[in-house]
Amino acid sequence: MVIITTKKPVDEVLNVLKDNNVKKLFLVSCGVCSALCQTGGEEGLVEWKEILENEGYDIVNGLVVDDVCDNREMAKIVRKNDADVQEADSIITLSCGLGVQSIVQVLSKKYHEKNVFVTNNTEFMGMTERIGRFYMRCRGCGDCLLNETGGICPITTCAKSLMNGPCGGMVNGKCEVGNYEKDCGWVLIYNRLKEIGRLDLFSKLRDPIDWSESGHQREVVWR
Amino acid sequence: MVEKKVYSKLGEMLAKGEFILTGELEPEKTCDLSHTIQEAKEIAPYVVAANVTDSPLGIVTINSMAASHIIQKEAGLEVIWQLTVRDINKLGIAGMIMGGHALGLRNVLSLTGDHPALGDMPESKPVFDLDSATLIRLVKEMVDKGTINGHEIEHPPTLHVGAAANPNSDPMGAEILKIGRKAEVGCEFIQTQVVYDLDRTIEFLSEIKKYNVPILLGIFPMKSYGMAKGFDTFVPGVDVPKEILAKWKNIKTEFKHDKAEQKRIYDQANYEFFKPFISELKKKGLLAGVHCMAVHYPRIFPKLMEVIKA
Repeated sequence: MVIITTKKPVDEVLNVLKDNNVKKLFLVSCGVCSALCQTGGEEGLVEWKEILENEGYDIVNGLVVDDVCDNREMAKIVRKNDADVQEADSIITLSCGLGVQSIVQVLSKKYHEKNVFVTNNTEFMGMTERIGRFYMRCRGCGDCLLNETGGICPITTCAKSLMNGPCGGMVNGKCEVGNYEKDCGWVLIYNRLKEIGRLDLFSKLRDPIDWSESGHQREVVWR
Repeated sequence: MVEKKVYSKLGEMLAKGEFILTGELEPEKTCDLSHTIQEAKEIAPYVVAANVTDSPLGIVTINSMAASHIIQKEAGLEVIWQLTVRDINKLGIAGMIMGGHALGLRNVLSLTGDHPALGDMPESKPVFDLDSATLIRLVKEMVDKGTINGHEIEHPPTLHVGAAANPNSDPMGAEILKIGRKAEVGCEFIQTQVVYDLDRTIEFLSEIKKYNVPILLGIFPMKSYGMAKGFDTFVPGVDVPKEILAKWKNIKTEFKHDKAEQKRIYDQANYEFFKPFISELKKKGLLAGVHCMAVHYPRIFPKLMEVIKA
């Protein structure tokens, strides 16, 4: 599993830096997911250093960090590079949204005045077919249905996230959203359950998603 | 046998087993419903009730609950209020069901609704908190048990709830099982998507007969060649047969200088196509009636009545 990211337009990032009157930057590039998506890693770091230097920014430091999203790893990086963090007025991260927020959290104690910016848009948690082909197959809804839908997720593959599909927008197994090019998730489920002899599961009426737990900040805390 | 409760003329006619005709009205992006009310008045002598659409194709129109109320009041025609789960969450819909009842609506058709991405506000949030089956279940809970999520309603609503079905659906097996889910939660009538393929329709209706839900067959008499061609091109999953298109094209050309005669011939051609189609299904005991979706074509209704009564 990889958190899939894409690059924000360079101008969008530069405008944000300008609006915030940024002068000295510390760059943090994700060495795992964003490296795989070619939005971070060593290559991304080199690319952004060049862009920012050409724009006249002072690059205090630039590091590839394996787990930007792990508070413990980021805390170590900040400790080891304390003088540089202190000197920079802002951090810019080539990572997903988790990376940004991990840095914000780690800096909040000693360096709460520092700004943190991001160069990427976070798309989804993705299944990798090959590099450059990533697909959303799970939304992390917290109440997995896959045991009864033949291993195909309706929340993700149905454009309406219906619990009891297919809807009238399905034509010849294709979905009305996207000009009938993508498969209807519920037809995929029907075909799969038919293959494994479990159409009884297809006939079952499923309750709507319970938003009482999903609608706010979710956390898994077991110690 | 427990006698079914009746809340509307539609409910009454279906309970009696009378072969009925329902129509369709499509309010537009307007706050003035005078055109729709006029059309409702024209079809009122022939239909038991008429559907009032809820922003079809995701294109924003006047709210269907408000339009249903106004049409019913002004035209004196009972409506089948189309309600999609596209735009409003479960909490909002439960409130609307009570509101719909308070406004005098007694029939509601549960629909998923076309995705907002298809329409003219594609950036809208697609809600789909419920789906067409769980909306039926909610209505039935409110009407039959007088509760919402187990909480008592002081004065519960009384509405009949129906569903849509698509005989053109491929794979048909998925559609059939889906109808089964809706029947299980208490769906009281079904209106089908427009059909032109008799064999496929017989196969589909024979399959869903086991669910014992009255079926109203969706038909679309075509007012002109342009309408037939447009329907064939722009309505996904519905193919107008080539011979119909050819015949309608011929009428267009042959009677281009005599519009009155052209209208009469179009009407006659519709009659000749749909009469044997409907008669065959009626004879097989597969139908409770017909749902005519030909909006802006009220003059066809007297002829359709001949088919219904035949």
